Amino acid sequence: MAEPVLEVHDLRVTFDTEGGLVPAVDGIDFSVAAGQTLAIVGESGSGKSVSSAAVMGILPSNAEVKGEVLLDGRELVGLPSDELRKIRGNDIALVFQDALSALNPYYTVGWQVAEAYRLHHDVSKKAAFQRAIELLDKVGIPDAARRAKSYPHEFSGGMRQRVVIAMALVNDPRVLIADEPTTALDVTVQAQIMQLLADVQEEFGTALVLISHDLGVVAEVADDVLVMYAGRAAERGTVRDLFHRAAHPYSLGLLGAMPRIDVPPRPRLTTIPGSPPSPGSIKTGCPFQPRCAYTERVGERCITERPELTPRPGEGDHEAACHLGRRPEAVV
Amino acid sequence: MPDILWFIIRRLLATVLVMLALSLAVYLIFYAIPADPAHLACGKPCTPDRLEQARHFMQLDQSTIQQYLNFLKGIFAGRTFGEGAAAVHCNAPCFGYSFPLARPVTTLILDRLPVTASIAVGAAVLWLIIGVSLGVVAALNRGRPLDRLAVGVALIGVSTPSFLLGLLAILVFGFWLNMVPVNGYVPFSESPVDWAWHLVTPWLVLAVLQAASYIRLTRAQMLEELNLDHITTARAKGAGEARVVVTHGLRGALVPIVTLFGLDLGGLLGGAILTEKVFSMQGLGELLISAVGQLDVAVVVGVTLFSAFLIIVANLVVDIVHGALDPRVSHG
Ligand SMILES: Nc1ncnc2c1ncn2[C@@H]1O[C@H](COP(=O)(O)OP(=O)(O)O)[C@@H](O)[C@H]1O
Ligand code: SF4
Ligand SMILES: [Mg+2]
Repeated sequence: MAEPVLEVHDLRVTFDTEGGLVPAVDGIDFSVAAGQTLAIVGESGSGKSVSSAAVMGILPSNAEVKGEVLLDGRELVGLPSDELRKIRGNDIALVFQDALSALNPYYTVGWQVAEAYRLHHDVSKKAAFQRAIELLDKVGIPDAARRAKSYPHEFSGGMRQRVVIAMALVNDPRVLIADEPTTALDVTVQAQIMQLLADVQEEFGTALVLISHDLGVVAEVADDVLVMYAGRAAERGTVRDLFHRAAHPYSLGLLGAMPRIDVPPRPRLTTIPGSPPSPGSIKTGCPFQPRCAYTERVGERCITERPELTPRPGEGDHEAACHLGRRPEAVV
Repeated sequence: MPDILWFIIRRLLATVLVMLALSLAVYLIFYAIPADPAHLACGKPCTPDRLEQARHFMQLDQSTIQQYLNFLKGIFAGRTFGEGAAAVHCNAPCFGYSFPLARPVTTLILDRLPVTASIAVGAAVLWLIIGVSLGVVAALNRGRPLDRLAVGVALIGVSTPSFLLGLLAILVFGFWLNMVPVNGYVPFSESPVDWAWHLVTPWLVLAVLQAASYIRLTRAQMLEELNLDHITTARAKGAGEARVVVTHGLRGALVPIVTLFGLDLGGLLGGAILTEKVFSMQGLGELLISAVGQLDVAVVVGVTLFSAFLIIVANLVVDIVHGALDPRVSHG
């Protein structure tokens, strides 16, 4: 496997809030190599966005980040802020979920893309604007030279997301983190945006971290998958490990919840009952235990002992955090 | 662009209608006052004959409506009181004639305007700078001592009467410390240094008091703005904190601040009554107050209408500026 561009080890994020400490991310590891796609999946609140913000170093000041974030082997956690600023948007760029709120309503889209360029290149405003037009054109905005002078509210949702992608790509980043980039869009536009990301990745060899809860998309584009639950990794492996050899009851639940057209409908729809715990509320045992259909087969251990990631059969580094040793059969 | 022109034309037409209605209302109110201006003009002892003469000369013997129409006509065509050698001319635009001061109201207003404008504009620039910067500092230090200090200053500012602070300033800086002149106005054209030197205390007094509402408004707006997603985008692009706060944060807070500023300045230009009184400056406010004392109805009507006109113009300007500042309004 190629050298990873981005490596994250034992990342922990704790928020200091009025209600006490909130361990939103509780020790996760992942890595992604050039031209590869890592998908992070999990229900909302599982710590996906917080993890990506931690990698970018853009968490609010009440967040404490521990662990390692390595970009080409260089440690980013604890770097002075002006050093980090040179990396943000330049080597690692972020594509947000909601393009309308991610863009500043008071500036033209061309200005905003050009600003991202000027922040990392010593060029004239005019040259930066030219570069912005070039990028807007590249991400498929028709009549880019004219549209660059329009404001975000004058674009459709899909076009706005293209603008956000252009802004993220303007400095040829090594790593692109896309946090649910298509959630706010309708289905046909979703497919177009995913195609755009795939094209960009192929052209520039960008390492892509795709945060998504659309397993259909993940199956199509990801090389590796990290399944997060309550701020921790439930399972990780290659996309084939996850879709053919899922070892964690939570992953199985997600797969069951995924609408599939390639297999006949199951006798019973397996959505996951219940809702995820708030971060830190489950102190001992398995955080998925209250919702787990398999816990009875394991017994006490699920309540008393926290399962750590352990190797599972599969390609390479397939791991799951569950006391069930073998791949569980579907509970019918 | 034609859009904004139409908008301005429509608003100007509306402004004319509002001014007409307003002038009629003001006219009727002040002419309903039982005091008889002719009585004052006729002197003592006042024989019925002379009173009648004065009435006729001042055109007070006509019906109220006719007088109002004369007033309107005077604005466009000027007016002449009396005939022959004794005739008094009031050139267009004639907003009435003050018989006690023996001057056209227009001239009186134009004579006093530079004084009031000097006080108002200088103070406004100061309070805008003080208020906005303290508001930003407070927002950036939310909940910390600097924030508490700024909020405390604002609280004292809004609850202190201007004459009290004015008198205190005169006492301390004028008499005790003997640093600044305590009264009088020197025209800018005579000596810019003396002009500023005489104005610095009223400027500071007004600025300190007015800054309070700007601290509060800016703080509240900034707290809201800095929480928006596009602020995170700016950080993710690699923008430094100063750029994030000013270019992206303050830009969004600008519209309400400019609105308040326009209306405050428009109001103050109509006469800073208490400040002018305390610092013995012959501005519009002072003109109005002494006219009330002398039952000089023509001046009272003229200055009142002028102040109202300034406020209407301020509203118009604020709306136009709002359109220019918020692309979502102008590029609807
Ligand atoms: N600024 C914050 N202060 C306190 N808690 C936060 C903050 N931001 C996120 N969290 C908490 O962190 C957890 C993970 O959130 P997030 O990463 O946004 O989830 P998602 O996987 O849906 O992206 C949530 O429980 C959320 O409440
Ligand atoms: S450890 Fe137990 S409760 Fe947790 S997922 Fe595995 S079986 Fe379920
Ligand atoms: Mg999220």
